Amino acid sequence: MSKIFLMDVARCTGCYNCQLACKDEHCGNNWLPYAAPQPLTGQFWCKVTEHVQGSIPKVKIHYISHLCAHCADAACIASCPVEAISRRTDGFVLIDPGKCVGCGRCVKACPYDAIYFNKELNIAQKCTGCTHLLDNGAAQPRCSEACPTDALVFGEEEELKDRLVGARPLSPGGKLWYKNIPGEFIGGTVYDPVEKEVVIGARCVLAGEGGEKTTETDSYGDFWFKNLPAGGNYDLTISAPGYKDKIFSGLSTETSVNLDDIPLERA
Amino acid sequence: MKKNKFVPDKQNIVSFSLMGPESGGMCMVDSNDDRITRIRPYFYDKEYTDTHCNPWKIEARGQTFTAPDRVTITPFGLGYKSRVYSPNRVRYPLKRVDWDPEGDRHPETRGQSKYVRISWDEAAEIVAKELKRQKEKYGPEAVLCQADMHGEGKNVAPSHGCPNRLLSLMGGYTLQMRNMDSWEGWFWGAKYVWGCEPVGEMAPQTNLFPDIAKHSDLLLFWGCDPEVTPLGVVSHLPSRLCYWFTDLGIKSVYICPDLNYGAAVHADKWIPILPNTDVALQLAIAYIWITEDRYDKDYIAAHAYGFDKFEDYVLGREDGVPKTPAWASEKCGVKEWTIKAMARDWADKTASILHGNGGPYIRGPYSSEPARLEVMLLGMRGVGKPGVHQAKVIEWSLWNRDYPVPFQGQFVPKITAIADPLRPVEGDVEPHINMRRFELTDAQKERAPELIELFKKLPAPLQFIPRCHVHKAILEGHAEWRGLQCFSSSQQPGPDNYRHPTQQYQFKEMQYPRPGMSRVHMIWTDAPCQVTCWNDGNMSQRAFRDPSIECIVAQHPWLENDCYFADIIFPVATKHEMNDLGNDMSSGAFTSIYLEEPCCPPVGESLSDFDVCAKVAEKLGPEYYAVYTGNMSEKERVRFFYKATGCEDYMTWEEFKARKIFVVPCKPQAEHEALPAGLYNFYKDPEGHPLSTPTGKLEYFSTEINEYLPNDPERPPVPHWIEAGESHDERLSSKRAEKYPLLCMSNHGRWRMHAQCDDIVWNREVETMKIRGADGYQYEPCWLSVREAEKRGIRHGDIVKVYNERGIVLCGAYVTERLIDRTCYVDHGSRLDPIIPGWLDRGGAINCITPANTTSKNATGMAVSGFLCQVEKVTDEEWAQWKRDYPEAFARHVDPDAGVCLEGWLIKEDAK
Repeated sequence: MSKIFLMDVARCTGCYNCQLACKDEHCGNNWLPYAAPQPLTGQFWCKVTEHVQGSIPKVKIHYISHLCAHCADAACIASCPVEAISRRTDGFVLIDPGKCVGCGRCVKACPYDAIYFNKELNIAQKCTGCTHLLDNGAAQPRCSEACPTDALVFGEEEELKDRLVGARPLSPGGKLWYKNIPGEFIGGTVYDPVEKEVVIGARCVLAGEGGEKTTETDSYGDFWFKNLPAGGNYDLTISAPGYKDKIFSGLSTETSVNLDDIPLERA
Repeated sequence: MKKNKFVPDKQNIVSFSLMGPESGGMCMVDSNDDRITRIRPYFYDKEYTDTHCNPWKIEARGQTFTAPDRVTITPFGLGYKSRVYSPNRVRYPLKRVDWDPEGDRHPETRGQSKYVRISWDEAAEIVAKELKRQKEKYGPEAVLCQADMHGEGKNVAPSHGCPNRLLSLMGGYTLQMRNMDSWEGWFWGAKYVWGCEPVGEMAPQTNLFPDIAKHSDLLLFWGCDPEVTPLGVVSHLPSRLCYWFTDLGIKSVYICPDLNYGAAVHADKWIPILPNTDVALQLAIAYIWITEDRYDKDYIAAHAYGFDKFEDYVLGREDGVPKTPAWASEKCGVKEWTIKAMARDWADKTASILHGNGGPYIRGPYSSEPARLEVMLLGMRGVGKPGVHQAKVIEWSLWNRDYPVPFQGQFVPKITAIADPLRPVEGDVEPHINMRRFELTDAQKERAPELIELFKKLPAPLQFIPRCHVHKAILEGHAEWRGLQCFSSSQQPGPDNYRHPTQQYQFKEMQYPRPGMSRVHMIWTDAPCQVTCWNDGNMSQRAFRDPSIECIVAQHPWLENDCYFADIIFPVATKHEMNDLGNDMSSGAFTSIYLEEPCCPPVGESLSDFDVCAKVAEKLGPEYYAVYTGNMSEKERVRFFYKATGCEDYMTWEEFKARKIFVVPCKPQAEHEALPAGLYNFYKDPEGHPLSTPTGKLEYFSTEINEYLPNDPERPPVPHWIEAGESHDERLSSKRAEKYPLLCMSNHGRWRMHAQCDDIVWNREVETMKIRGADGYQYEPCWLSVREAEKRGIRHGDIVKVYNERGIVLCGAYVTERLIDRTCYVDHGSRLDPIIPGWLDRGGAINCITPANTTSKNATGMAVSGFLCQVEKVTDEEWAQWKRDYPEAFARHVDPDAGVCLEGWLIKEDAK
């Protein structure tokens, strides 16, 4: 039995409550032996990042909360020369502020940039999973408790199993799971430049990575191909009765692609 | 470092809403050693609520939405520890160093000169003396009381109105009356179409969200951001509802210039539109519906008045200009094909429009016009029909007898309001209009006779100035306008949920000063945010420096905004430092009454707002003190206010003290579900359930505007597209746009509630809250599209000046794909940091350069979003020049994380 964090990106409004709650708990509060205070600003044991994809008017935004993954095979533990970092039986990886000598190796070793260096105290610090609260009867760490939409939740893996469908841990055996992180998209609006009308029901065929995908333009003339892998190469063919086919070749999803308003020429 | 305690010394329930008049949702505050340790969400005792409180649920399309098990906390509530202990707190009474009440008062250095610490005794004495002097010399009306609007949700010592209470005892004062801010367009426009007292947004809002879940398949978020405005006054319940609507397959279309925070995560389609041009889009939609025969003609025949005149205008029979999609596209920037697609999609579906107040859609110049047109478009879709509504994501409890989300209790645990900042002048309003919101009801008197003396009716003020005219009135010594403003929001509905129509009062010609009364020579404010929240903040600063104003008194927990212009500043305690009785009627899971106790001692020498005025009352004389306080302590007020709520019938005072909360059981599901949603009765039977318009119908041609002001080109009887007029010339077509080619839009801030919470250090780390410039200062972001930034050689993070002929505001460039070209966007409410008072601000208070003129000539609202400006990078030469010319302003200490702060405004000795 092990408790984990699950972040469902599709349910996150970007309110930053998780980041703020972490700071409320750890900045200026001393939780030794679990953690010394986090500096007032500038460090983020729980950090929200904003991701803007596409361009006007086809823009999508998602947010991701980053906290320590509490890896099963933690690089930070291996990197520490004084054995200040250890994994508890419940899986939480903690840096002992009393033992840390401030060499900073773990900061570099962490593959997820989750460890910060507190210059004033000369120690490495990171998310403790609020173990100082959990060990004293709290049901949840501060970040998940503050989440207003249950996008970030904390609980037994078994209890969360319905919500874990489609999720994956950031590091194998670790405590931090994600789901619904969107891929890149290709989208546009198809219209008739003579009639100045959108073309509804145009067939859009996307060929490339992962085979062929097909969709139709909606009541706004819009089509979307979502969740494409980053860095893919695609050819897009748009066809509608009475119009000549429109072909886009070599579309790259290095970033999301807004093809904007696409005029179709009459056949 | 303090000793660590894993279990807190005490846990208190405290409100985190910033609404002001109602406490709103609450959080749990842990304290150790008289200091706040943490702030957490409040979780209901689920075992108790499941058994006793009848938690509500909405069932639709095979899915269920249930009441949350907690009050979902907002970033403001969560970060409030940083606000309580902000370096920006006023810690003791302050006097402006070169203001000498016995000698030279130096009004011209307000906003520049610094402060010295004085004792409470001295401060109270000075103010009492000045009040007497003013009264003697000019009469009581010489004192203007600026006391209204949002703030911490406090009841026994409210954030606003305590000075009004005291000043009433002086024999009167000049009241600053709220203009209908937040509802400008609805109040001054939509009311003439559908009545809908008190503010002109659809009323009643009964059962709207269950009805939408069952019947709507399209939601239009028109200038609405459900992820922003609800945070200050509700909770995150609207966020959860938005996700649920998407789960149900209901499409969300957002129409706004920016990809706002709601659109960012909930939109199926974003239609970017130029700020304040929605009228063009609306008229083109009407054009498509009329010419393609896509509207409910039977409904219009039975429910509408004057549709033919509206049709004449839309089709161009009136002015020779058919309002075609091509015509509209030019004006609003939405592609012609998208306009047509939107019109048809809307016609094919069952759609509701959602609103959360604010934004350029309703707070721009001529906002009466889009507001009226929206109602007319809803009428063409048969408003009142299941799934066809105008629904609000905020203000669920404000005027609704029955709520739009079924969290309503079996009874309303009303806390009585001790101070009344919204009273009309005696005789201005007919007595049958019941405005007794601020009086004890008979039932309350019976339950708590101890309060009768305290609630003795004090004399009403004899003259008022609408808030949006205050600066003009001071500078010019007179003001003229139409309308009685906000008083009607106090109108209490009768037992049949009926409110008398008040539209007629909006035509009343008013003036200041009234015959025989003094103009203003002194200001007392408990709402010092005029410069950053109201129209033309630079003009406000000039007014505060006007020689006619001999004394300005401010009472506030934080030294910010208008405080810099005050001569005496009283330190006020925050919620977390006092006893209070909270009422949550808006967070959305349950309604409740809760006991609030101090989490920490008052910061510095601060006192509650109520006690600040009591200090001055004491100096005025024992008779003032006795009437003002009713000889009742804070704790006694809490006790007797609880008694008055009626909750004692359910929970004794002893039990309440132990539990600290009484959760009111929800209305039974069946009872709630039986209530007709929105305007359903009007839809079914317009004769039997008429609207409160003169014809009882939806007026596409306003009979009242036609009666009172038929020739007003800025608000004609049928709503029009107004390119420019006597009041405003703020369009891209204007000659002014040659110099000021961007339309500046301004929303409510995501990380602030108007002017509140600009100093929470952890919010300020979020990049859409502040951007750190190369000089280390945290600037307010100014959003620019990638293309507009490129044109100007501006890079993300550059320090830029946003300016027009009204002044300059410095910001940090936020270059983004979230904003349409030809615009820039700065949230209102950032704290002023005056470099040249009345001209140049470093703090990002964008309202400094907003138009002074009101919504339109005869509509007395603010027009502070959608105005012309230019944005440029600040050059090195300019910086050097400013720093040479204003060294003292640049030398003021600014906290690296919290921004402007107390230390920067104290003379050196006191700062230590």
